[in-house]
Amino acid sequence: MALTKRLPLASLLQLSNRHLATQTPPPPAANPPPKAQAPPTPPPAQPQKTKFGPLKDEDRIFTNLYGRHDWHLKGAMSRGDWHKTKEIVLKGSAWIIDEVKKSGLRGRGGAGFPSGLKWSFMNKPPDGRPKYLVINADEGEPGTCKDREIMRHDPHKLIEGCLIAGHAMGARACYIYIRGEFYNEGSNVQLAIQEAYKAGYIGKNACGTGYDFDIFVHRGAGAYICGEETALIESLEGKQGKPRLKPPFPADIGLFGCPTTVTNVETVAVAPEICRRGGDWFASFGRERNRGTKLFCISGHVNNPVTVEEEMSIPLKELIERHAGGVRGGWDNLLAIIPGGSSVPLLPKKICDDVLMDFDALVAVQSGLGTAAVIVMDKSTDVVKAIARLSDFYQHESCGQCTPCREGTGWLAKMMNRFVAGNARPAEIDMIWELSKQIEGHTICALGDAAAWPVQGLIRHYRPEMERRMAEYAAKHGDAPQKVSASGH
Amino acid sequence: MSLAARIPQTLKQVRPVLSTDHAEAKRRVLNLYKIWLRQIPYIRVDYIKNNWSEIRLRDVIKENFMRNKDITDLRVIDLLVVRGQMDFVETAEIWRQQHNAATLDSRKDTYKKKPAGFLERFYEGH
Amino acid sequence: MSSVQLKRLLVALNRVKQHGYIPKCKQSTAAAAQPKKEPEKIEVFVDGKPIHVEPNTTVLQACAVAGVEIPRYCYHERLSIAGNCRMCLVEIEKTPKPVASCAMPVMKGMRILTDSPLTKRAREGVMEFLLVNHPLDCPICDQGGECDLQDQSMAFGNDRSRFTDNEFSGKRCVEDKNIGPLVKTSMNRCIHCTRCVRFGSEVAGVSDLGTTGRGSDMIIGTYVERLFMSELSGNVIDLCPVGALTSKPYAFTARPWETRKTESVDVMDALGSNIVINTRGGDVLRVIPRTNEEVNEEWISDKTRFAYDGLKLQRLTAPMLKNRDGYLVPCDWEDALSVVAERIGRLGNGSKMAALAGRFCDAEGLIALKDLMNQLGCETVCVEERFPNVGASIDLRSNYLFNGTIAGIEQADLVVLIGTNPRYEAPVLNARIRKAFIHNDLQVAVIGPKIDLTYSYEHLGDNTNILSDLASGKHAFSKALNGAKRPLVILGSAMFERPDAASLYASAAQLSEKLRDVSSKEDKEWRVFNVLHRNASQVAALDLGYKPDVKSIIDLKPSLLYLFGADEGLIKREDLPKDCYIIYQGHHGDRGAKIADAILPGAAYTEKHGIYANTEGRAQQTHVATTPPGKAREDWKIIRALAEVCGASLRYNDIDEIRERIEQVAPNLTRLDSIEQANYFKQNIELLKQHQSSFHNQPLTPPINNLKDFYMTDSISRASLTMAKCVKAVDQQLKSQHRN
Repeated sequence: MALTKRLPLASLLQLSNRHLATQTPPPPAANPPPKAQAPPTPPPAQPQKTKFGPLKDEDRIFTNLYGRHDWHLKGAMSRGDWHKTKEIVLKGSAWIIDEVKKSGLRGRGGAGFPSGLKWSFMNKPPDGRPKYLVINADEGEPGTCKDREIMRHDPHKLIEGCLIAGHAMGARACYIYIRGEFYNEGSNVQLAIQEAYKAGYIGKNACGTGYDFDIFVHRGAGAYICGEETALIESLEGKQGKPRLKPPFPADIGLFGCPTTVTNVETVAVAPEICRRGGDWFASFGRERNRGTKLFCISGHVNNPVTVEEEMSIPLKELIERHAGGVRGGWDNLLAIIPGGSSVPLLPKKICDDVLMDFDALVAVQSGLGTAAVIVMDKSTDVVKAIARLSDFYQHESCGQCTPCREGTGWLAKMMNRFVAGNARPAEIDMIWELSKQIEGHTICALGDAAAWPVQGLIRHYRPEMERRMAEYAAKHGDAPQKVSASGH
Repeated sequence: MSLAARIPQTLKQVRPVLSTDHAEAKRRVLNLYKIWLRQIPYIRVDYIKNNWSEIRLRDVIKENFMRNKDITDLRVIDLLVVRGQMDFVETAEIWRQQHNAATLDSRKDTYKKKPAGFLERFYEGH
Repeated sequence: MSSVQLKRLLVALNRVKQHGYIPKCKQSTAAAAQPKKEPEKIEVFVDGKPIHVEPNTTVLQACAVAGVEIPRYCYHERLSIAGNCRMCLVEIEKTPKPVASCAMPVMKGMRILTDSPLTKRAREGVMEFLLVNHPLDCPICDQGGECDLQDQSMAFGNDRSRFTDNEFSGKRCVEDKNIGPLVKTSMNRCIHCTRCVRFGSEVAGVSDLGTTGRGSDMIIGTYVERLFMSELSGNVIDLCPVGALTSKPYAFTARPWETRKTESVDVMDALGSNIVINTRGGDVLRVIPRTNEEVNEEWISDKTRFAYDGLKLQRLTAPMLKNRDGYLVPCDWEDALSVVAERIGRLGNGSKMAALAGRFCDAEGLIALKDLMNQLGCETVCVEERFPNVGASIDLRSNYLFNGTIAGIEQADLVVLIGTNPRYEAPVLNARIRKAFIHNDLQVAVIGPKIDLTYSYEHLGDNTNILSDLASGKHAFSKALNGAKRPLVILGSAMFERPDAASLYASAAQLSEKLRDVSSKEDKEWRVFNVLHRNASQVAALDLGYKPDVKSIIDLKPSLLYLFGADEGLIKREDLPKDCYIIYQGHHGDRGAKIADAILPGAAYTEKHGIYANTEGRAQQTHVATTPPGKAREDWKIIRALAEVCGASLRYNDIDEIRERIEQVAPNLTRLDSIEQANYFKQNIELLKQHQSSFHNQPLTPPINNLKDFYMTDSISRASLTMAKCVKAVDQQLKSQHRN
């Protein structure tokens, strides 16, 4: 376990070394670039960096990820939160957005949209409507457990981030939509908000900047679809959590009909640190277009399931070996990995051997970074059954609004459940492929795509296995697929 | 060729049914008329229930021919002649029944006349 | 946030709900009144064909302009955009995914491909998904033949099925809901387009219908079993693109291709909603709406749609005369007419005669009766609904018309309802007010009891003082009223039954004239004063010179009374002299026939060519859909025949001649489908100045204030079994534990 073994005193010491990025450029000697040791960090002008990770302790943003320290205001301040927030806010929204743009931060919720660009959409001339920032803390993607760690153990990072991001987009208030099951997380965030109010960091005249900013916590009822931004807005408005049509985008008409930006917890929580240390610092991690550090949630058949902050573009194998104690039974026992939460296609071992964990590298192998929830499956796994389980999940979580998703997810699940036993004809594999293509891209929100991709990934890499089962089943039961009296669900 | 240009041309080149000029058509009509007249004694016997006198039957035939006296279109005349021939065959071969032959005679019409006055029509339900 | 901000926000939110974007306000503001530069049109290409459309139109509308019909299920012009059926997906060049054309606004230079392989494949996929859980019960489905799903699966679907999974686990099953005696549900067939839900919440203003459950468990329904309590509920039958919601009374009756369709006009209220009557073999099978943007758009009320079964029950099918024992006995027309004529002749002159016309009379019948009576020397020719005799009264048409027009409500910015409950007196008009309320920021104020009108309004109270307070500017609402640029004052005709009708009318007219002073600056042609009638015959009768004064008949003590479809029971046997001879002409054995000595059976509105003028004064005609039953005859013919037997002469023998006669008296009635505008507000006000106002204390309450009383209001609906069932269902609903 790679834990940050930092004492409060140590962090205080380091705090003194931190400067606001724009105050005075830190002299290189006094404040060496974070990547000075281990793999040498190249200055911006240097040729492409080729080695990524491991992340050094002093470069970690989430320094209380494991709850070893006090998460209350006092503890948070000792770790550097709320340090010079006033000055950052007073720099103005253009500066903050510029800094975020410079950092190359991409949304951490799954889609990976450049955050600076997204926030800048809100800076339109005012038309009398208030603007809102909405934090998507409805972390429901199977395998993902990063936002809850932030909210449990580092809520002040989030709240400070809300203030800074909110100011960057001129928001009047911020709503944090927390998944219903996250009871403790919700209460921690609420307590932290109260502490911040009491300390005058938010509320009227937040941090003494003259800027009024309120933060509200809203707890959802535990629907996966409410993690979709427009469904989240609907749910926040008190309606059924069903995605809205886009356009209009939330930046035009969002919460209560006002311009709104919905961002992931992690995206917002790293913003203060980016502003304090400078966008260039953040951009010094990871490959081009995939900058920064990232929380990876490693689960499944590993020795030490863990959520860990690492540099972007770290090789998948290294990530698992270094932080999760390796695959159960050794790397050779690996069957497949879902690299970005349930909704991205899985990768078989031969791709996992050398793939890098970032947006572009995973897209290149027809998968995706998603929420960086790495689900490891060793050779004991029934991979068809695993994907069938995901199909069941998506059928259960489809909102039922639009046709392809409502009918298609159920159909996929039915077929996948038959495929588990092999009770199907091989031609049906082509059919399910075609069906998943008919769902993908034809729906209002991305849930249809998310349901289609795991199935597509399975067919892409494990078609022989599926065909083998069908042949086996046919040999045992005769040629015709058998009727089952009750359906699987 | 556009449709508009085609129409007059087609109209010009009407194919005759039988007759090429009015004289020929007239001859055909007169021939038909004569056949009918020659048949009168037989019609009286074949359709005895209609109780036609020879004179009346002559009038009936004339009436039927005169009904179309104003027709000038050659093709229509020809077709009427053909139909008249067919009627003739039906009558001569006794393919008709007694009451069916009666339809030739307007006086044997059994339709009830519609009343003319408003009140009468009202009572009738019109 | 201040309350102003909050309100603005809610308005914006409502619009977003309606449109998905904030639409341009139709209401004219000071800025809009000035000639504004037309927004530049955008050029888009539909299948390569360039067209120019307004910005903010959707791709689907742009395709419609180009003459390409995009298949759709959830999209409906009069409902908000849901975009959930995905049938309208089209490819747009340079976008990776097909887009839902119903919701996508056009952009400059957009190249829309409606027939590309990608588009076709997307449609085929959606069709397949829709059919996978749709039952194969077309042969027993009432929608068969007029089903969007059938038609579009033929046009756009795949020609072979691959539902292998149906063999394993079957199709989805959903329990049918009982939502009342009008709408039959078959929820297995539902494709979740949510048109019915949107209709309920947007047009009808009743949020009974909704969705529960998620994903493939999503169900349209009322959550707990209850009645769909709306006076417009039948419209969901037309909206439903499949057979999930069908008509209960029409169930298993006919296929659409078997029926004969007759375009006609409704007479159940004074709106004159346009309808199509479907008949087969002389039976009216159903009534469905016909689109008329200026009157009913495409909605009709439940009474219009479902009261047709009353046309077969309680009908008068033969003339009847009272025999010596006092029983009415059927007879021939000759006997009936001669007895009646003899009775009329016995009077010598008509001074002791009177006639009263009811709510379903067409203009032809009305003019014939009036001509006959006048020729016989009778001047007491009245119509059932009253109108106050003050000022110019009925001499000026503008006094009794809905001058602002129904479509005009959408331009209005303020509506004052006085003593009327449009929700039950004219449901479709109420839907129009609700539409304007939602889309145009229409402000509504009500003088009368607090009632649920499906939209929120300013309740000014229910006593008569408010009118004078408003006129004098003392009332708190006066400021808003005087600031209105296009106000409408709607006076309910029920108020004319009050003893202080004259004062009420005068003050409403004066208030309107005062408001017109302000509005005329905005729009010279804007008409403020409106009367909302309840009877279909009223406007035509007034146009033809009928007296709106039933009391004058009672005062006359007539020896002979001619009831022409007068079924309201306004005149009772006791009110008349003992020897008064009562003739009833009409189509139903209702209140009028009960007191009659002679009965002349007439035709109902589905059985005759008749002109009706609606409350706006718009003349429209009905057509013959079926023939009158038994010996019943068209009304004007009965009167014409009676006149001949009496020795009077009415010089018209057919429908064209009688319409010529109507043209002589009231030319506006023969100009069908148009409104003859009336414009003598000023003059009337001058005359009204002489009137001394005196008000009664009783509150201004319209007679019908709940749904239960809405269904059975006239001789046809009183005879209808369906309407009786509705009353019962509402009654039960109100008693049930889920009444709200």
